[in-house]
Amino acid sequence: MRLDHCDLAEGRCFAYCPRTQVDLETIHQKVFGQSYSNIEMGLFKQVKMVRASSSTLRQKAQTAGVVSALMKFALKEGFINGAVLTHRTPEHLPLGRVIRRPNEILSCAGSSYVAGPTLQALNQGPWKDTERIGVVGTPCQVLAMRKMSVSPIKRTTPIDRVTLIVGLFCTWALTYEPFMKYLKNRVSGARIRKLDITPPPERLLKVITDNDQSWDIPLDEIRPFIRTTCGICLDMTSELSDLSVGTVEGIEGWSTVIIRTDLGEKLLSQAEAARIVKSQPLPEENFKHLREASLLKKQRALLRLKERGELEDGYLTLSRELIGRILSEANEAGS
Amino acid sequence: MSILSKDSPGKKTLLMGNEAIARGAIEAGVRVCAAYPGNPSSEIIGSLSQVARELGIYVEWSVNEKVALEVATAASFAGLRGLTAMKQNGLNVASDFLFNLNLTGSKGGLVVVVCDDPSALSSTNEEDSRLYAKMCNLPLLEPSTVQEAQKMTRWAFDLSEELGLPCLIRSVTRLSHARGNAELGHITKNQPNPQFDTSRPIIPQPVMETHKALHDKIKKCQDRFEESPFNLYRGPERPELLVVTCGPGWMYVREALANMGAENRAGIVKLGTTWPLPTSFLMEQLKKANRILFVEEVDPFLENNIKELYAQRAGELGVKTFLGKASGNLPDIGEINPDIVTGAIQQILEVSYEPRSLQYAQEAAEAVSLLAPLRELGFCAGCPHRATYWSVKNALAMDGRDGIVLGDIGCYTLGVRPAGFGQVKTCHAMGSGVGLANGFGQLERFGLNQPVLTVCGDSTFYHAAIPALVNARYNQSNFLMLILDNSATAMTGFQPHPGTGRTAMGAEAPVVDIEALCKSLGARVQVKNPFDVQDTTETIYELLQDREGIKVLILKQECALVRVKRQKALYKVRVNQERCIGQDCGCNRRCTRIFKCPGLVWDPVTGKAQIDEAICTGCGTCADICPQSAILKETI
Repeated sequence: MRLDHCDLAEGRCFAYCPRTQVDLETIHQKVFGQSYSNIEMGLFKQVKMVRASSSTLRQKAQTAGVVSALMKFALKEGFINGAVLTHRTPEHLPLGRVIRRPNEILSCAGSSYVAGPTLQALNQGPWKDTERIGVVGTPCQVLAMRKMSVSPIKRTTPIDRVTLIVGLFCTWALTYEPFMKYLKNRVSGARIRKLDITPPPERLLKVITDNDQSWDIPLDEIRPFIRTTCGICLDMTSELSDLSVGTVEGIEGWSTVIIRTDLGEKLLSQAEAARIVKSQPLPEENFKHLREASLLKKQRALLRLKERGELEDGYLTLSRELIGRILSEANEAGS
Repeated sequence: MSILSKDSPGKKTLLMGNEAIARGAIEAGVRVCAAYPGNPSSEIIGSLSQVARELGIYVEWSVNEKVALEVATAASFAGLRGLTAMKQNGLNVASDFLFNLNLTGSKGGLVVVVCDDPSALSSTNEEDSRLYAKMCNLPLLEPSTVQEAQKMTRWAFDLSEELGLPCLIRSVTRLSHARGNAELGHITKNQPNPQFDTSRPIIPQPVMETHKALHDKIKKCQDRFEESPFNLYRGPERPELLVVTCGPGWMYVREALANMGAENRAGIVKLGTTWPLPTSFLMEQLKKANRILFVEEVDPFLENNIKELYAQRAGELGVKTFLGKASGNLPDIGEINPDIVTGAIQQILEVSYEPRSLQYAQEAAEAVSLLAPLRELGFCAGCPHRATYWSVKNALAMDGRDGIVLGDIGCYTLGVRPAGFGQVKTCHAMGSGVGLANGFGQLERFGLNQPVLTVCGDSTFYHAAIPALVNARYNQSNFLMLILDNSATAMTGFQPHPGTGRTAMGAEAPVVDIEALCKSLGARVQVKNPFDVQDTTETIYELLQDREGIKVLILKQECALVRVKRQKALYKVRVNQERCIGQDCGCNRRCTRIFKCPGLVWDPVTGKAQIDEAICTGCGTCADICPQSAILKETI
């Protein structure tokens, strides 16, 4: 959507957009001090299954309450002074929100599977100079933040104060307006309280309405509302975060957590020690499935880019060799 | 006490052309005056309204020109003197009635003043209203000076009464808005009491008889014109060139000849009565020279009619060369001025004369640029229309179906320009945006997949939009109508209208409720504040998704120019200089490059936006368009 004519040669929108030129090698070098080598699901130290100890959290949050528990803990223990999270309006429109008090974290629990302008809250703050910020975001939001942090363009956002990035797993997001319109019709105009997608093999969108009615909608019905840009996204597991959380291939009641950086590791271990969360090793079979799902998303994205004739000169600046490796590993994993 | 109402015969005073017309009507004892405002005619009724109570005149702003003419005509039918004034487009609206009125005739003196706008300085079109006089065969007078405007108007009432026909007066911008000396005449009092003679109907039938009667009346009129002091010749007995002119052309030709020192070579025939032509007078003049140049504004009205006369009586005149618009000596569009006339006469008489330095235009532009900020034609600071078009632009972008915005006449016509983000795509007559929307709203059946949106001001709504809305309801068209209700006829000078609660004479009036009216027509109606751009954008978007029937969104916010006179700013607006990061923002100066309210200025020294406190009206809209939230609005 183009709102206004712009003749700016090098603007922030363009530089930070996760769908304009992405140089993963440079980002990895600058953020992690390492080369972009793990093409399956990004650099990581460990993958675990984790759940919040608090049953309240588990109930109110999307799955195992891990993100809410960790962010609450990070705020309490001073890892960060403020968190940028996504809350939903009563109409399920996602918007960014700055949270400074641990008890307010739950106001942002849950998901509406809709893409939202979370980072607007990061940009607008307001922040004090000394504050450390933690952000929870989808892979594209995490990528945008990393692009901000490595961009040569003059700093105008508080990105240097972002010290913790918790990434979410994501396979796609929906476009708000047509999706909600469809959904409202589908549930006969009832007020929607919660949305959830059940794990495979069921894969249903469960809608709970205010009258406590539950509606099961096959995912195929809502696929038309998936944002087209999600089709060329290479990242399922927020590969550029400190710590990624998701449900893919997890075991019910537990989340899969990918620990990527020292900070991510420290946060999880301290939270565990404080009995905020519990963790277990992820069984080999589940890990295999996670790797496979991640690779298949990459494969789909690369094939879509190829269709569009943008495989080599599109937004991704991957070498032919890397592209070849991703595609062959995905083929192997899928076979 | 206004000079217009002073009964001081012989007093010389400076009057605007339109005031002189008003004064002429006052001197003639006019009792009923009605008009719809339209530049350059608005000050006629405007100035009459100021003295109406004092002089016992009834003055009204009518909803449109046709109604205004009908109101003035009613006075005439009852034996009183009536006047209506309008711009050229207004006569198009009133013409349906006029083309029957010519056949029925009038009783009390009835004068229709039409102020044309050559070069369309404040109009959507350029039009020569004089052609109407010929079409409906009514007497036409064209004043050349302010004094003449006053005298002619006064006389027009007498002439109208004598002939039993309405009399047309054609003015143009440079006469209506110029100021000149006028010697006041006596104000006629002791007017008759109104009485409508019910013994016979006033109808155009039987048409063959009334049409014949009209021709007889106009023949009588022609005889009167032959002796009119408003027609004259000035110049040598045997000039090399005879210049036939009317209106302000009279002054331009005199100035041109005087400057060139060619007064002894060219003679001027100045016509004040231009339809029907005073043929005997003209025949005498045409004999004076073999080369005849016509100087008049817009269409070749005199040029063609005198050529027609020549075609009938060439034998008496011999071979003549006619120069003017057809020959290419003068432009056939736009205003004329002394320079243009000088150029034409110079070429014909082969006089070498340079009216002014060739660099004059450039030097003048440079001098002006030092005094005035460089701004393109746009909305005032704090204008609600800017906020409205911002929301329209964003809602249409969100909608993504390449929506069509149909407009018409008012300040909001600027929506076609960058000031309104180029949103408006059509502009024709008053109310024709919604008329076109009626049609576009029926095209979905043929595969048109663009949502239809029309914008209409409050005054325009009353003027011409209501029948189109009724049509839309009846024929079940599908569109969204935005009524930009700024509670003013802003473009023509804030005249009151049926929504303002005031009459032309300053009395309180019941408000004709647009919302209730639209609801009664079965439209889905919402009312919003355009300054809340987010709410407005969402509402427009949401209404565009409703594919059934007519939707009306009334965007209610008083015209900024009216509001600032009455109340303080809504907000104290400032740009937080730390938060505004100028060119580093990446917004590419969204506030001063795109939104472009004159209250926002770009400081080239700091490279940041600022509020120009002298002109900011504190609407607060810009606070919602800054992506950096650097523009702050604080409630006062």
